[in-house]
Amino acid sequence: MFTDRQPRAFLDPAVLARLAAVPLVARRPMVGTVSGRHASPHRGSSVEFAEYRKYVPGDDLRRLDWRAFGRSDRHYVKEYEADTNLRLCLVLDTSGSMNFGSAAVTKIAVARRIAGALAYLASQQGDAVGISCVADGIVRTLPPRRSPAHLRLAFDVLDEVKPAGPTRLPEVLHELAETTRQRAVVVIISDLFCPPPDLAGAFSHLRFRRHDVAVFHLLDPQELAFQFQRPTRFLDMEGGAAIFADPVDIADRYHRAVQAYLDDLRKVVLESAVDYHRVMTDESYEQVLARFLVGRAAARGLR
Amino acid sequence: MTFLQPWMLAALPLVALPLVIHLINQRRFQTVQWAAMMFLLSARALSRGYSRLRHWLIMLLRMLAVAAVIFAVGRPLSRGWLALAGGGRPDSAVVLLDRSPSMQAVDPAGGGSKLDTGRRQAVESLVTLRPARCLLVADALRGPEEVAGPEAIAELAGGGPAAAAADIPGMLQAAYDFLRENAAGTSEIWIVSDQRANDWRPEDGAWGGIRDAFAKLPQQVRFQLLAYARPAAGNVAVRVGGVRLEQRGRDRQLLVTVSLVRQEDGPRLTLPLRFEIGGVTTAVDVELSGREAVLRNHAIPLDAAAGTRGFGRVSIPADADPADNEFFFVYDEPPPRRALVVADDPAVRRVLELVAGIAPDKDVPATVDSVAPGGLATAAWDETAVLLWQAALPTGRDAELVDAFVARGGQVVFFPPEAPAAATFAGVSWGGWTAHAKPVAPESWRTDQDLLANTLSGGALPLGELEVRRSCGLEGEHVALASLPGGAALIARAAGAGGVCFCATTPAARDSSLASEGVVLYALVQRAIERGRVVLGRARQLDAGPAAAEFAAAATSWSRLAGPDAAPSTESGLHAGVFAAGERLVAVNRPAAEDTAPVVSDDRIDGLFRGLSFSRTSGRAGDGESIVQEIWRAFLIAMLLAIIGEGLLSMPRRREAEAAPRGFPPAEAAA
Repeated sequence: MFTDRQPRAFLDPAVLARLAAVPLVARRPMVGTVSGRHASPHRGSSVEFAEYRKYVPGDDLRRLDWRAFGRSDRHYVKEYEADTNLRLCLVLDTSGSMNFGSAAVTKIAVARRIAGALAYLASQQGDAVGISCVADGIVRTLPPRRSPAHLRLAFDVLDEVKPAGPTRLPEVLHELAETTRQRAVVVIISDLFCPPPDLAGAFSHLRFRRHDVAVFHLLDPQELAFQFQRPTRFLDMEGGAAIFADPVDIADRYHRAVQAYLDDLRKVVLESAVDYHRVMTDESYEQVLARFLVGRAAARGLR
Repeated sequence: MTFLQPWMLAALPLVALPLVIHLINQRRFQTVQWAAMMFLLSARALSRGYSRLRHWLIMLLRMLAVAAVIFAVGRPLSRGWLALAGGGRPDSAVVLLDRSPSMQAVDPAGGGSKLDTGRRQAVESLVTLRPARCLLVADALRGPEEVAGPEAIAELAGGGPAAAAADIPGMLQAAYDFLRENAAGTSEIWIVSDQRANDWRPEDGAWGGIRDAFAKLPQQVRFQLLAYARPAAGNVAVRVGGVRLEQRGRDRQLLVTVSLVRQEDGPRLTLPLRFEIGGVTTAVDVELSGREAVLRNHAIPLDAAAGTRGFGRVSIPADADPADNEFFFVYDEPPPRRALVVADDPAVRRVLELVAGIAPDKDVPATVDSVAPGGLATAAWDETAVLLWQAALPTGRDAELVDAFVARGGQVVFFPPEAPAAATFAGVSWGGWTAHAKPVAPESWRTDQDLLANTLSGGALPLGELEVRRSCGLEGEHVALASLPGGAALIARAAGAGGVCFCATTPAARDSSLASEGVVLYALVQRAIERGRVVLGRARQLDAGPAAAEFAAAATSWSRLAGPDAAPSTESGLHAGVFAAGERLVAVNRPAAEDTAPVVSDDRIDGLFRGLSFSRTSGRAGDGESIVQEIWRAFLIAMLLAIIGEGLLSMPRRREAEAAPRGFPPAEAAA
């Protein structure tokens, strides 16, 4: 089914093969256009019994439960759960800060790998995949489609996108919440360098629109450790003013600021029921995705 | 604080090294592309109070460590907490030792005397300072003596205790003379003293000159006073006020007047006085309730077989100051009371012959010789105690004779002639006669001392009952002993010669009632005779000091009969004891002021050295600590403490690790 023969730097076939063993499922019912492997809010024709319902004229007589009629002399229609496909909306932060990497790997590279792997896995199980590259606005977007050709387009977008510009993630998420009409799994891949209270509003908006929101929070180890020996002039990768600071002097306050940010973010994701995953750029993205997929598989069944 | 190697302090600018390194480090900044700017902005907005304080504390401790190393290498010296004068190793050090009896006081807690303590502390300090030249001034007359090294000061025979008062201004003058002529470099003068007024004489006019002289010296001179001003607690001094040999028939007895003095009020004491005369010891208890007790004319019977001449010692039990616990005395038959009268007016001559010829003691013969002014050469000057002169002031050969008489201790009382001339004697001359319309009486007179002092029973002489009808003015420098209304002197001493006295009226009835109210004139003349007799006797009491030293030097021989034998022969007259000077017996004792002189205040001492580099270190007798110590260890410890403190403050790694963001999910769960 995977017809894209062009080698992609961010795709590792071995990793994809291992991850394919675990299905990508939504945590809440999806409204798809075709039959799939995801729970739907509607009754359908799957093998999973849902409930009995009184017969009303117009119902298909083939769905009448004759055994129940024999026992109770009443007409009941037997209903089954419907399985459908889902829409996977990948929101990729392409602001300038995503180009940071203290080691060999930058955050945008890790984001490409995660987004590429998720797109491939979703496409493999027949789900529609769309992608939105955002910075101070929506830089580039592909609506969700199920076709393999569309997957190739999504890979092209991932290949071509360049991190630049400031971050306006909360505003962009609001915009996406408004424009994505049907339920979808919205996967945000970003360093989330914006105030947590602003993110809280965006997450709530997405949740209100019945989207299943998952966040991959990308952080570089150096951004947490802040280990510099010499006075340093910090140039803003998103085009802001530079800051001159002595790390020895400012390190403890930097750590306090980071800790306060993470505490606030924790509160936000808990309140917004966001599937949050922190990703350090020096750790294996395969493990991160495995944790993500397994966690979702365990929660399957909720409708 | 001073330094043995002060040139090392030139490295003090290195203290700024941590600051310079910090500034250089600031300029060696790196530039990095940074994503998490929002955390940096938040960190800058957070309070920087403790962080900045820690930063500057680290910088300060680093600078302190460097400074401590530099100070330690400079070999700092501690000179006590008060002495902060700077300076390094002196080129020469002069030690002025106050060896007066009061410096021999010891502390009840133990240890040596003030003199021993001060000398030891000075020696220890100079051993540390290691001056190129070291000198000792133990006596103003002898001047500075160069010693091989500071240790030699303790062994020098001339540095021991003496009975004479210390002449601090004189010693400073001697030190100045030496420094002016010899020392080229920085000098230090160490004064070891107990700040007694009779040693320092702060009223002495010489201080101004000394101060100016030292200030003008080209080389730097620092003064260091090791002060042991704390008075000896409970100390009592014994002193013999007078000794008189009395013959009663075939019996002979010695009448001794002894006084006990202490400087501060204390509890009532009963002290046993021990008299040692010719190997025989007698004792008597004396009660001391206030500051002074006097035992008057204590009779000590003498062996009839013994001669009329002898010596003895009176002592009290040991107390805080052993130097004033004994007093030596000598006695002899009283010398003849011979007076010489030179008078123009027969009436006056007659009166003077009468008052001089009647001795207060019937056992002592009194002789009066009357001569004309021209016949002075034939007078028995060697036996005469007083010269009563009522004529024109002596001139020429007569003046020379009278001068010689005064110089050897004779007393002269001048009465005005009928026709005063312009002649001058001892800087004083007669003015004109003044006839008073109404007889006048002396308005004031000195009752505390000299010829008109109160009697032994405390009563004043009846000068107020005198009637002076005519008086003659006095011109020249003189000190009035009695003054008439209006301030004119009636009886005065010449300022230039202590033994010369002037009476501005005569005993003639036309001039005054000195003859009819004879008590005043009698007391005046007899007291003058008594003073003059002192030098005629073969037994003399002398105060230790320059006068006694001069006396000893002038004597044909000088041998010790009693007293401590530690005194070197070069210090004759400065140590207490009984000495044989030719045919005379001489008892040398500490001056009376040693027993009662107060301590000069620190402010007053500071004022004496105003404008000079002066510092004082207070100590006490028996103090075991050295004044000057090398304290580089303290600086090394300070450096270590600074480094440890800097290390503790600069250890942010562990704290930062503890404070590093935990994040969520926890890092270990994520791994």
